[in-house]
Amino acid sequence: MRDRTPPDGDRDAPVRYGRRVSVITRNCVRVRGPESARPMVFAHGFGCDQTMWRAVAPDFAVDHRVVTFDHVGAGGSDLSAYDPERHGSLRGYADDLVEVVREMDLTDVVLVGHSVSSMIGVLAVLAAPERFGALVMVGPSPRYVDDGDYTGGFSRSDVAALLDSLDSNPAQWSAALAPLVAGPGNPEVAVELAESFCRTDPRVARDFARVTFLSDNRADLPAVRVPTLVLQCTDDAIAPEPVGRYVHSRVPGSVFTRLAATGHCPHLSAPEETAAAIRAFLRDN
Amino acid sequence: MTDPPAHRDRLEPPEELTRLLEEDPADLYENAPCGYLSLVPDGRVVKVNRTFCDWTGLAPGAVRGLRLPDLLSAGSRVFYETHLAPLLRLQGAVREAALDVVRADGSVLPCLVNAIEVRDEGGRPLLVRATVFEATSRRRYERALLAAQRSATESEARARTLQRVVSELAAAGSPEQVAEVVVRRARAAVEASGAGLWLAVPGPEATARQRPVPVAPTASDGLAPALLAELAAAARGGADLVRTGGVRTVPVGPGLRAAWPALADALLGAGQDAVVVVPVSAADDRHLGALVLVLGVVGDSELISLAEPGTRGSLPQADAELLATLGRQAGQALERVRLYQETARQATRSAFLLDAARLMAAGHGVTETIGELAELAVSRLADMCVIDLLTEGGLVEPVVAHADPARRALIEELRDVHLPRRDGAHPSVRAMVEHRTVWLRGVDEAELARFTTSPRHEEVTRALELTDLICVPLVLENRPLGVISLGADARRGTFTEADVETAEQLALQMSQGMDVAQRYELEWRTSHTLQASLLPPEPPEVPGYALAVRYLPASRGADVGGDFHDVVPLPGGDVALAVGDVVGHDVTAAATMGQLRSVHRALLVDLPGPAALVDRLHGSWPLLGLPRMATALFARLDPATGDLRIASAGHLPPLLVADGRAELLDVRPGRLLGAPPGPAPEWSGRLAPGATLVFYTDGLVESRSADLDAGLDRLRAVAAAESADGEGIANPGALCDRLLDALAGPRRADDVALLVLTRLVGDPLAAPGGGADHRSHRPVAGAGDEEAAVDQARSDLTDALEGASGDVSVSGDAMRWSPERAETPAPPVAFPALDVAAGLGSVLGLDPAAVRRLVTGAVDRLTTVAADVADGLLLLARDAFPGDDDR
Repeated sequence: MRDRTPPDGDRDAPVRYGRRVSVITRNCVRVRGPESARPMVFAHGFGCDQTMWRAVAPDFAVDHRVVTFDHVGAGGSDLSAYDPERHGSLRGYADDLVEVVREMDLTDVVLVGHSVSSMIGVLAVLAAPERFGALVMVGPSPRYVDDGDYTGGFSRSDVAALLDSLDSNPAQWSAALAPLVAGPGNPEVAVELAESFCRTDPRVARDFARVTFLSDNRADLPAVRVPTLVLQCTDDAIAPEPVGRYVHSRVPGSVFTRLAATGHCPHLSAPEETAAAIRAFLRDN
Repeated sequence: MTDPPAHRDRLEPPEELTRLLEEDPADLYENAPCGYLSLVPDGRVVKVNRTFCDWTGLAPGAVRGLRLPDLLSAGSRVFYETHLAPLLRLQGAVREAALDVVRADGSVLPCLVNAIEVRDEGGRPLLVRATVFEATSRRRYERALLAAQRSATESEARARTLQRVVSELAAAGSPEQVAEVVVRRARAAVEASGAGLWLAVPGPEATARQRPVPVAPTASDGLAPALLAELAAAARGGADLVRTGGVRTVPVGPGLRAAWPALADALLGAGQDAVVVVPVSAADDRHLGALVLVLGVVGDSELISLAEPGTRGSLPQADAELLATLGRQAGQALERVRLYQETARQATRSAFLLDAARLMAAGHGVTETIGELAELAVSRLADMCVIDLLTEGGLVEPVVAHADPARRALIEELRDVHLPRRDGAHPSVRAMVEHRTVWLRGVDEAELARFTTSPRHEEVTRALELTDLICVPLVLENRPLGVISLGADARRGTFTEADVETAEQLALQMSQGMDVAQRYELEWRTSHTLQASLLPPEPPEVPGYALAVRYLPASRGADVGGDFHDVVPLPGGDVALAVGDVVGHDVTAAATMGQLRSVHRALLVDLPGPAALVDRLHGSWPLLGLPRMATALFARLDPATGDLRIASAGHLPPLLVADGRAELLDVRPGRLLGAPPGPAPEWSGRLAPGATLVFYTDGLVESRSADLDAGLDRLRAVAAAESADGEGIANPGALCDRLLDALAGPRRADDVALLVLTRLVGDPLAAPGGGADHRSHRPVAGAGDEEAAVDQARSDLTDALEGASGDVSVSGDAMRWSPERAETPAPPVAFPALDVAAGLGSVLGLDPAAVRRLVTGAVDRLTTVAADVADGLLLLARDAFPGDDDR
């Protein structure tokens, strides 16, 4: 068998190249905007992929280095990188994120995390504080399951039912649906759908749901030291306002902004309002 | 081809049907066979048809204004927000989303939902239209499928768990590894919040009826220390951890609380609901221990358990069956691992016993041997070894050893300070008193308190962290010799029955070995004590002379011999010298030698010359009943002049070293002592200043490999070489050592006695006119020179005693000695020496009365001995010459 180690002088280069390739492709990282601008990393939440940011990210790409990516198991990520143990806790996802940020050598990053990625963001900021300059949490919840005086909004049986409903809604349906959407009025959308659309491996989706809805990151909140924005929707069934206020109260110096947007995905349902709120926060901090 | 009428009928429906088909669009909407909802983009319902309201029991007014997720169950709500709404926004449509609508009465209506987003020309959402189909049967079927699939998945997971356990157990090499595998896998398989494996400790006292006691968890995972401690306490306390029967789930309830309140509290405190006990059993159903799992919602997992607190009081049957299987697998793996380990340990034990036997066969002293045995034991059999030996004085200082160098100080303190008392509760004392092995398993606090004798004793013993202690008495023929105690600490683990058997085997070997060794040692000590008493004390100083003596026993056999040397200052200033050799070098020879020396000294009482001495010894030999023959050389030295008279009873001639030459003196030997008597010619000469005389025994010059002449030549050569510088032998001790070194190797077949005497050059006594005829030269007493006065006094005393000897003893040939005269008691008053002695005493400032008492007593004793000897000689004469009486 041949020694595949490159000659001594070149030993570093290919390995680094290989690593960069693997981390970047693993998370299907996409970059837009001026290279020298402040980096802004958008992390999608449970249920979809980086296309969730479609209506918001381009707006920031004007004056930011915008990075979007898919968590392992979602969208265009490398499924083979899914490790049930590593990704059995939010820490594994945070480690992935930190690896991407380090690989791209980003600093003073504005990290925008939706839903569960707010908590992944908290863990990433705590793991690599030197990389992050601000944290935006969209619809955050540090713990979904009620616990004594703390109201997360869900009982254990609710979560069990959610996991059941995931089983009843195998993720393939989104892929099967994609051709239907290629209506005559929406050619652009059709192309995008053909590539990837909230594709999630069903096994990973279920695991990710468990990790998302069964984690408890309340204790991590007070350790956050970067300027933080909590974006709270109206009538968010997943992260109700008391939960958002709880997060705001626990993250030192955080800013709480309540959006008129309803539901859990303001970046989809009210992208302008969402982008404006983030810009306002970045301007002030 | 003609159109059949039926075909025409289909194309032209009856009028009634045509009317129905031209139905009211509003009715079509309201009473459509599906629910129909119109939502504004944020999800609020703006229109709903009657069908939906009928299905759900909700009034249209109650539905309008709500967001669609508000109509859904929690799970569906999450699905709507995380999947459905984003997809609608991104894709414009979703199909067959399975959602659960909650009816007015709270019941759930399983539905399938199709929805499309209506957008304006700019792509902005205007409205969402959703149709809702009841899917109760389909969803029921789906759920059944799902349940079956889950069941299959779980079953597969269990099979996978079992498969992994089997393969991991195959790789396990120790009970700890077996326990670790089973604990980890079992815990994960049933999502227990913690698990531990307790192994029972087998032992000789564990009969079929007595349950083996699990002493400590062999492995645990996820159990908080407090909970672990309570479980361990319950296990030690005899909780039903190990018993026949299947998997048992014990909920934290009144039953558990009644039996083990502390454990119940600990479980509750840790948020646990139940304890599951799984028997770990061997193939033959013997119970080896128990796998204990704790069920509850609080564990060390990063994720919140889905189970509601307090709901894990039971275990699904399939899980229980899996655990039962794991328990059996663990048991069989344990048996296999133990068998393997036992085989390995048995080999170690056999090797150990063999080494121990070799050690004992090496024949070192008892103390040395048991010291080595203790070291051997701690490297092979135990962590700690204490060997106490029993003597008349109780348990003597024990020999101790510890495998851990860091703990040697502890065990040595134990030896030095804390000897168990004979009446104590210490297991080693119990073992010795009861003549049986005592095996303490699980040395706990209570046990420590029972057998330790002081707080420090307890402290030191505790620091040794003993788990097991075996005390085996050393007994031979019902006679206790001591006790050997072997300890195991936490690192080694507990002892097994085979260990105990090995210890007993070792004790048996030791008892037999020690018995032999102790007997030998007794003999050895006895003979050495005897020898020490038989050997003469250090020779006295002889002014003007340097004197050295050596005695070396033979290197084999008893460390006693029949050789002797003796230097006796005689009254009058002369010195008697003797070297002798009783045949043999054993205890008998030594005893004979001792007697011979005593008789020699006794005979010196009346200052016989060397030849006379030999005569008398010849004469007294049969009377003394000495069992051995002997050779001897007797000399009489006048230190002042160097005048020397020597007689030999069959002994090798002395060596004279002078002027760089070494010559054997021509002392013609008479007969051996013990042989028929014969006269011994007396050699006389003078030892010149600087000359050296060497008396020796044949052990020095005779060996099995060289004949006597060669030995003598070598002796002369070595001695000559030592004095070759012409300075003479100034240090007789050095000559002794040189001779022994050169002639008597370390492997001597015979004893060696050596006596070397050098007349010093330039000694005042040796000065011309000073030593040669000092008897006639009598400086005036009180001449001012104190030393001279002492010399003068000594001369006077000598003269006096010499004069006295003529009165009280017999001189010359014993055969010519008159018994009648010898029987005459010595008249103490007619003893001129007394006056002289008194005079001397006054010169020296002594009390005249004390001097008189001294001298009289001495003479009395000597006279008595002489009389006894005379009696003996008389008898001897009769025996030797029976005819004389008759004639």
